[in-house]
Amino acid sequence: MTLSAQRSTGASGPGTRDRPGPGLPPSYEGAGAQPWAAGLAVAVAVAGAALGLNGVLRGWAWYSPVFTTVIAVAFALAALRALRLRTVVVAAGGGAALILVLTFTFFRRHSMAGFIPSPDTMDQLGKFLRRASETVLAESSPVAPNAGIVMVICAVLGLMVILVDVLAFPLALPATSGLGIVAILVVPAIIKPQSVGILGFAGAAVGYLLVLGCSQWFSPDPRTRADTARNPGQFRRAALTGAVALGLTLLLPLAIPGFDKGTFPQGSRLNPFGAASGLNPMISLGNSLRSSAGTGRITYATNAPTTPYLRSVTVDSFEGDLWGPDDRQSTRRLGTGRMDSGLELAATELRVVTAVDTGQFTSPYLPAPYAPEAVNGLTGRWSWDPATLSVKGVDTNSRDQQYVVLSVTPRLTPELLAQSSAPAQGIPDQFTRQPDNVPEIVRKTADSVTAGDATPYAKAMALQQYLRSGEFGYSLQSPVQGGYDGNGLSVLADFLTQKSGYCIHFASAMAVMARLEGIPSRIAVGYAPGRPTGATVSIAGQGPLPEFEVDSRDAHAWPELYFQGLGWVAFEPTPSRGLVPAYATGPSTSGGASTNEFNDGLIPKEKTTPAPAPGAVPVPLPGGAAGAAGSPLVTALYTAVALLLLGLLGASPRLARRGRRRRRLGSAGRDGPAARAAVLAWAELRDLAADYGVAPRSSETPRHFAERLRGPAALGEPDGTDAPGHRAVASLTEDFERHEYGRPAAVPATAARPDGGAGPDGGARPDGGARPDGGAGSATGSAAARIALVQAALAANATPWARFRAAWLPPSVLSAWRRSAGSAVRAVSDTAKRTRRGAADSWLRIRDAVRRVRRS
Amino acid sequence: MDYHRTSVDEVFRRGQDFTDRPAVEKSAAALRTVPQLPAAMDAQAFHGASERILTAINTVIDGKAEAARLALTVLLAQGHLLLEDVPGVGKTLLAKTLARSIDCTVSRIQFTPDLLPSDVTGVSIYDQASRTFQFRPGAVFANIVIGDEINRASAKTQSALLECMEEHQVTVDGKSYRLDEPFMVVATQNPIEMEGTYPLPEAQRDRFMARISMGYPDKESEMEMLETHQATSPLTRVTAVVTAAEVASMIATVQQVYVSKPIKDYTVSLGRATRESGMLRLGASPRSMLQLLRAAKATAALAGRDFVLPDDVVSVAEAVLAHRIILDRKAVSTGETPQSVIRSVLARIPVSPEAAAPPPAGRAGRGMVEPPPLPNRR
Repeated sequence: MTLSAQRSTGASGPGTRDRPGPGLPPSYEGAGAQPWAAGLAVAVAVAGAALGLNGVLRGWAWYSPVFTTVIAVAFALAALRALRLRTVVVAAGGGAALILVLTFTFFRRHSMAGFIPSPDTMDQLGKFLRRASETVLAESSPVAPNAGIVMVICAVLGLMVILVDVLAFPLALPATSGLGIVAILVVPAIIKPQSVGILGFAGAAVGYLLVLGCSQWFSPDPRTRADTARNPGQFRRAALTGAVALGLTLLLPLAIPGFDKGTFPQGSRLNPFGAASGLNPMISLGNSLRSSAGTGRITYATNAPTTPYLRSVTVDSFEGDLWGPDDRQSTRRLGTGRMDSGLELAATELRVVTAVDTGQFTSPYLPAPYAPEAVNGLTGRWSWDPATLSVKGVDTNSRDQQYVVLSVTPRLTPELLAQSSAPAQGIPDQFTRQPDNVPEIVRKTADSVTAGDATPYAKAMALQQYLRSGEFGYSLQSPVQGGYDGNGLSVLADFLTQKSGYCIHFASAMAVMARLEGIPSRIAVGYAPGRPTGATVSIAGQGPLPEFEVDSRDAHAWPELYFQGLGWVAFEPTPSRGLVPAYATGPSTSGGASTNEFNDGLIPKEKTTPAPAPGAVPVPLPGGAAGAAGSPLVTALYTAVALLLLGLLGASPRLARRGRRRRRLGSAGRDGPAARAAVLAWAELRDLAADYGVAPRSSETPRHFAERLRGPAALGEPDGTDAPGHRAVASLTEDFERHEYGRPAAVPATAARPDGGAGPDGGARPDGGARPDGGAGSATGSAAARIALVQAALAANATPWARFRAAWLPPSVLSAWRRSAGSAVRAVSDTAKRTRRGAADSWLRIRDAVRRVRRS
Repeated sequence: MDYHRTSVDEVFRRGQDFTDRPAVEKSAAALRTVPQLPAAMDAQAFHGASERILTAINTVIDGKAEAARLALTVLLAQGHLLLEDVPGVGKTLLAKTLARSIDCTVSRIQFTPDLLPSDVTGVSIYDQASRTFQFRPGAVFANIVIGDEINRASAKTQSALLECMEEHQVTVDGKSYRLDEPFMVVATQNPIEMEGTYPLPEAQRDRFMARISMGYPDKESEMEMLETHQATSPLTRVTAVVTAAEVASMIATVQQVYVSKPIKDYTVSLGRATRESGMLRLGASPRSMLQLLRAAKATAALAGRDFVLPDDVVSVAEAVLAHRIILDRKAVSTGETPQSVIRSVLARIPVSPEAAAPPPAGRAGRGMVEPPPLPNRR
C-alpha cells in the first residue's frame, strides 16, 4: 500500500504533506474515502465483467453468490486499507475474506461456526472441485449452475478482485488492472457465440472506468501535490481520448482482415450489441463448419435406401433477430419408447432402423433420422417434443450413447407431393406464423420466384431450384466478411443480395420464403448424410448394415416443409451439400448425388469437432479424437492465463522500474542517513532522465548532467527555467552535490531539505533544518515529490513515443538487464580464456620439466 | 632595455628597506616553518572582494572574463600564471590590470637574452660605509611579478626564477630571503616568434599552475576597445580595489575549501589517465595534481562554495594540465593537441567510480581483467 498511502495523503489535505514517505508504518490518520471508493470501483468492475458470464452459465441464479463474494472481498480490502495497513496485509486479508465468504456460502454445514473452514470443508471442497471439473469437461454451455462450478467461479472472481485491486492501487497501475477484467471477459468471449454481450461489456467498461477515475481522483497529481488532478480539462481530455479509442475500434476492423478461424471464429469485430451483425446461437454452426480441427465423430449404421440426414433440433420461429429452437419444455413428453407426431399420413410408410453411436459428441439433443418413432438403448431420462420430434436429455446428454432409432417416413413421390394442395391443418400455428418486418427483398424474391406456381410443391420446387441455381454460391467465408454470418431476417436480406453463404442461409431462405408463400416451414439442424466408413454393424434382425460417420464439418441445416397428408418433407436448397431427395429432384434440378463434396475439398481430412447442436447449444463439448484438451472452457482458461502472463511479461520492465523507484525513494524517505537519501534520489533522477532519452554519462559531472537534463532535449523551457521541474532538478542536484562532495559536518540533518530553490550556491548557506514548507507546487518536499515533479515535466515535454517508452520500456531497466545478461556472457568467456591460458601454461611447464629431466 | 631596473627602482621608491627583512636561515627547520596565515574571510566578504577584482579587470579588458577569472583563480590558489599567446592580445595588459587592482607591490621584468639571474633575484653588494655586504633585492621582491616574454631569457636566468616560484624565497650568498605574500609570477610568452628564444624547460613549465591563452576578442569587444582605448590607456583608470592583506585572507579562505574523497579520487584518476594515455610521452606530474586541486578549490571559492565539485576540477583541468604534458610523436602527427588530449581524458574518466557503468568489452578496462602475459619460454 505504499504508493497509494502516499497518494492518499495528498488527498487528505495539506496537513498530511509531511507524512513520512511510502512504505512507512501506518500513521494515525485515516485514509479518507479513497479505500472505499477504490473498493467500490473494483467491485463494480469485477461484478460487471461477471455479468458477461450469463450464457456460459444458465440463468441468473448463480449471480447472487458471485455478487456476494465480490462485494465481501472488495469490502474487506477497503476496510483493511482504511486502517492503513501494509499492502501485503491488505491482500492477505482479502484472501482470508474470500475463504470465509466461500465457506459461508457453500460449506456452511461442513464448517465450524458456519464460516470457518474445517477438515470437513476440505473434503467437501474436493467434491465440489470434482463436480466443477466434470462440468467443464462434459457439459456444453450454457451449463446448469451447479454448486461446483459456481464455487469455482466465485473463487476466481474473488481472486480477481484482489488482483485488480492490488494492480490498480498499491502498485498504482490502474490501466494494467484492466488485464484482470479482460481475463474475466475472455471466458464468455470464447464460449458464448454472442461474445461478451452488452451487459458484460457495459459492466466491465463502467467498472474499469471507475477504477481509472478513482485512481486519478484520489491521486491529486503526485507531481505537484497541488489540486490540479481534477480540472475540467482533464475530463475533456478523457472524453476525447475515449471517443478516439472507440472510433478506432469501430473503424480498424474495417481496414484489417478479420480472422475467422481458431479461438475467435466470429472474427475480430467489436460487437457489444450482440446480434446486430448476426451473432446468435446458430452462428456456431458456421464456426463448426469453418473449424479445421475438432472432435465429435458420430457413427451410425442404417438400412435406409439412401443415407439419412441426422436431425437434432428445429428452428421454427422466425421472429426477431435471434432465431433459436423452441424448447417447448411444457409440451415435452418423457420416454422415447413410443413417439408419435399425431399426424395422419396418407402415403405408404417406409420404416428405417438406424443404430447410432455418439461417441464423444456432447449435446442435450439426440441426433436421429427423421421421423423417429422409437429410440431404444438410451441411458438416462429423455424427453421428446410431439411437434418437432426432437429428442432431448432431461438429466443427461448425448455423450457415449448407443441407441437404435426406428424412423418412419412416407414413401414420397413428386406426384404425391403435387397432389397435396390442401391447406395445412392440425399443426401448431408457430409453423405458419409469418414473421413481422420481413425485408422487402425477401418477400419480393419469394413472389417472383414462385410466380405462376399453383401448388405448394411447385412453389417449393421453384424455391429450391432458385437457390440451387448458378446465381448462388456456397461460401463459408463471405458471410463473415459481409457481416451477415448467422441467421435472422436482416441476414437473410443480405444473403439474398450477396447470393453467397452456407447451409444456414440457404435453409432459412427457403424456409422463410416458403412460409411467406403459405407453406408451413421450419429449419432442421443436424448432419448431412455421412461418409461410409467401410465397416458394417450388425443389428438384431437386420443383418450387417453399412456404417457411416459424420463429424462437425458435416453439420448442416435444411428446410422442412409441411404438406397436408404427407407430413414434414425435407428439401435441400444448399448447393453442393447434402443429398437432394428423389421426390425433390425436378427435371431441371441438378442431381443431388454428391455428399459434402464442397466441404471435403474445403477442409482438411482430419476428424474434427462435433457438430454442435444448434440453437441453445451453441458450443458442444469436445470429445473424440482430441479428448479433453479441446474443451472451450479449458481453452478459455488457458487463454486467460496466457493473456495474464503476456500482460505481466509486457509490463515487467515497467514493474521493475517502479519497484526500483519505490525502493529508492522509499529508503530516501526513511530516516536513514541523509546523504544516502540524496544519493538514492540522484540515482533515481539519473534513471528517470535515461528513460526520457537523456542518458547520463559516467564522465560527466552532476551539474553538467543536470544542465543537459534541463536543456531543450529534455525539460526544455516551455514555462521558463523557473518551472517546478527545473527547480526540482536544481534542488536534487544541489542536494546530491552537497551530500556527495560537501563537508560531512555541513550536511543538513534532514533528507528533505525544505529549501530547494535553484538560487546561487551559497557557500556558507545556513543548513536547512526543518524549515516550514514552501507551499504547494514549489520544488520542495521529499525526494519523491521532487522526482515526481521532474517526471511530470519530462513527460509534458516528451513525444508520445518517448512517454510510452519511458512508461513501458524504460531504457534504464532494459540497459541494466542487457548489462547483466552481457556480464554473464563476459564472465563465461573470461573464465574460458583464463582456463585456456592456464592449460597452455601448465602444458609449457610440464614440457619444460620433461626437457630438463631429459637434458640432465 | 632596463625595464627591470626601473621596476626594481620602483620597489625602492615604495620605501621598502630590505635591510630590515629578516634573513631566513637556510636550515631545514626554517624551511619547514609555515608562515602564519591571516584569518579566513566569510563568504560574503570573499564574494565581494573577488567581484571587485573581476570588475576592475573587465573594465580594462573587454570580453576576456574567463581569462580574468582564471588569473584570479591562480592568484588565490597561490600559483603562477603563464600567459601564452600571439603579441597584442592583451597578455601584459591582463597581468598589469590584475596587479593594479590589488594594492600591492608589483614589479615587471622584461626578459631579454642578456638578463642575468642576479637581476631577478638580487645581489649583495659591499657597502663601504658600513663595511658590510648589503643585499640589494632583485625584481622578484614584489607581490606580483610580471615576467614579459619569459622565453627570451637564457636558461640560467629562467631557472633563477625556479626557487622563487616554488619556495617563495630567494637565496643569495647562502642567505635566504622570504618573499612577500601573496606572491605570484605572471609570465607571458609568445609562441609564434620562437627564433632566438629559450623555450621553457619542462621543470619550469611545471611550476606554473596554469597556462592560458587570451585568444582574439570577439568583434563587439574589439570595437568597444577601439572606442574606449583611443585617447588614454584604460590602465590609468584602474585603482586598487583590494589590499594585499585582503588577498592573503582570501587565499586563506581558499585553503579551507573542503575536498571530499570522491574529488580526490577523480583528480588522481585524471592524472593517472594522462600517464597511461597512449598519446602522451609525458603525463601529468603528481605536483600538477596538487595544483589542479588547489585551482579547483579556488574555483569553488569563487563560485561561492565551500566544497569542491567535479565541475571545478573539470573547469580548470585544461588550463592546469595542458602545458605540462608532452605529446607522442604519433599524436602530433594525427593532429592532436595537448588540449584535445586533456579533453578526451576528461570525457573518458568516470566522475564517480560507483556510478560508472562497467566498461564495455574491448575498452581500456579490459587490460586489467586479463592476466599478465605469459613469460617467454625458451
